[in-house]
Amino acid sequence: MTPSQSAVAEGPGARGQGPVRPPPIEESLVVFDNVSRFYGEVLGVNRVTLSIPPGITSLVGPNGSGKTTLMNLMTGLVRPTRGSIRVLGAATDDPERLFRLVGYSTQFDSFPKGLTGFEFVYSFLRLFGDSHADCEARAWKAIERVNLVEPAKRKVAGYSKGMRQRIKLAQSIAHDPRVLVLDEPLNGLDPLVRAETIALFREFAAKGRHVIMSTHILHEVDMISDQVILLANGYVVAEGEISGVRSEISEQPIQVQIRCDRPSAMASRVFETDHVVEVKLHVDGGGLLIKTRDADKFYRLLNHIALEGINIESVTPADDNANSIYEYLIGGEEATK
Amino acid sequence: MNWGLWWSQIKAVIRLEMRKTFFAKRGIWVYLLALAPAALFFADSIAVIHDRDRRVEEASTHQVSRQAVQAIEMGMTREEVEAKLGEPYSKRSFKFGRRRETHEQTMYRYTDGETDYFFSFRDDELVGRGQNEIRTIPKDSLIFATVFQFFYLRLAIFFGCVGIFTNLFRGELLDKSLHFYLLAPIRREVLLIGKYLAGLIATVVIFTVSTALQLLAIGWHLTGPAMTEYLRGPGWGQIGAYLGVTALACLGYGSVFLAAGLLFRNPIIPAAVVLLWESANPFLPAALKKISVIFYLQSMCPVVARPTDMPALAALLLSSTEATPAVWAAGGLVVLTLAVLALAARQARKLEINYSSD
Repeated sequence: MTPSQSAVAEGPGARGQGPVRPPPIEESLVVFDNVSRFYGEVLGVNRVTLSIPPGITSLVGPNGSGKTTLMNLMTGLVRPTRGSIRVLGAATDDPERLFRLVGYSTQFDSFPKGLTGFEFVYSFLRLFGDSHADCEARAWKAIERVNLVEPAKRKVAGYSKGMRQRIKLAQSIAHDPRVLVLDEPLNGLDPLVRAETIALFREFAAKGRHVIMSTHILHEVDMISDQVILLANGYVVAEGEISGVRSEISEQPIQVQIRCDRPSAMASRVFETDHVVEVKLHVDGGGLLIKTRDADKFYRLLNHIALEGINIESVTPADDNANSIYEYLIGGEEATK
Repeated sequence: MNWGLWWSQIKAVIRLEMRKTFFAKRGIWVYLLALAPAALFFADSIAVIHDRDRRVEEASTHQVSRQAVQAIEMGMTREEVEAKLGEPYSKRSFKFGRRRETHEQTMYRYTDGETDYFFSFRDDELVGRGQNEIRTIPKDSLIFATVFQFFYLRLAIFFGCVGIFTNLFRGELLDKSLHFYLLAPIRREVLLIGKYLAGLIATVVIFTVSTALQLLAIGWHLTGPAMTEYLRGPGWGQIGAYLGVTALACLGYGSVFLAAGLLFRNPIIPAAVVLLWESANPFLPAALKKISVIFYLQSMCPVVARPTDMPALAALLLSSTEATPAVWAAGGLVVLTLAVLALAARQARKLEINYSSD
């Protein structure tokens, strides 16, 4: 049995029904088929083809790379300009089916006015058409799960950022979804709550469900994720298990700006290595731009060059966000070696 | 078709929306708009009661008979008038004209306890006369019909529905909270109907209660027997018709402004366009008239405000409306409402969450 088949057999749809035949493989995946989305002339995502298996999947990428668009697409909040999306076999324009499978904690930090935390979760559950008693029990269960019982009777408007994140999470898990989509779910959480929340995600994934989340907190990606999807400028740059992404990303050059007293000497020195692919001297003669395929080796080389007498004033990543992701992923790989 | 589920979901949406539509701070002006005519009618009734009591009091000391008043002819002197009617209860004089040629204007007021009579003398000659009848039910009916058709339907209910129905979707887009609905397993059409019904309940309650209060207020000054006679005659029918027209106005305008809130970012623009369209209704060809809420509503009003009693522009607006049987008018309005709701549902299905552009 494949992991995904096993996951589905253990999922909520299979509970209490005895031995079940696994569903078709596409009904255990979140599938993007050549999906593009444009906002007028602005690109959201372009030609995305993905099959996301159960487990924890992190969407990683700089601001504006298309992470939120991808999540909004898979929950039907926006529609693809081209292509199609199926979530466990459900079309994203079929809310009646989709949202019994999916829970989504969005990035929007706004709530219906005047509701308490409990009313917020409870009212959402009533939209499923279930009874008062059933919704009340499920709302309290979800609120307990995020440790928000005590403030649940207070108005959401008076909550801290972290409490608002948790009540959104409670709402998204209250109906026991098979796919949990989370946009920056760890933002605003203190370390203790963050650890509890990560444990909750792991518990979800351990039941063979999908947890698809975006995050900027890169050091947690490795710790949490089974899969990583790296996005840049609306394109999927790399995807797969985290070790696979590391090897893919290590092929991508990064750029570093260096200001120093002898840029020409530095250029000839860095060209002695095989990982530096391009060097451009600044017109003012006070620095250079270096493109390298191996950040780790490059930074170690810089330490040697500094010891050799070249006075380095500053070292700045030229593409900061992408570089930081790169640095982290590669660094993680090195650390595990 | 899962009607049971949809009905449960509609009830859930109504429960959520009720608090916002009835108790929103930004909706206070809707209550003020709805209750303003009732307050004015109460004030008017109190003034009428005060005036009636005054006439009775004046008549006890200076009473004249209607026959005696009818015997007065133009050109009579003040002495002749006083000889026939006695001392007036009010006599006021003032002088006007240039230095060499001045005149005296004198006003005599008499009452028989119900009607006030006015006689105007220039120097010593009767040059003008008039009378002010006590308020009667037909007169009250006409006043109510005029206020109802020109202020209440065309402005109060119209703008009340703008405030409540356009906010059902547009308000939540601005608050960035609409996505919570769109993340529930609920068809967009079901959501739309739930929101529409919530708005409809709120507006029907607010505006029909106000209509009832207005009717109560305008009849406040009536004596018991007069009220009994009115209710035995056309009274209950008219009251029912006004309450029905109020509810149908909320039904029609509600659908229009719900759709406007989905189709337009700024609801003021479609509201202005609809207001113009509704105002231009009498001048439109017969086929276009029927694409209007006011066309049907006016046809169902039990009392037609007589154009001769109104300002020319207002009379023009009323006189061109062709009478349509009430059943046809109500049916036409319901068909119009369903058509607009179908258009709104189509738009709701296409709705996306992109708050930054909203």
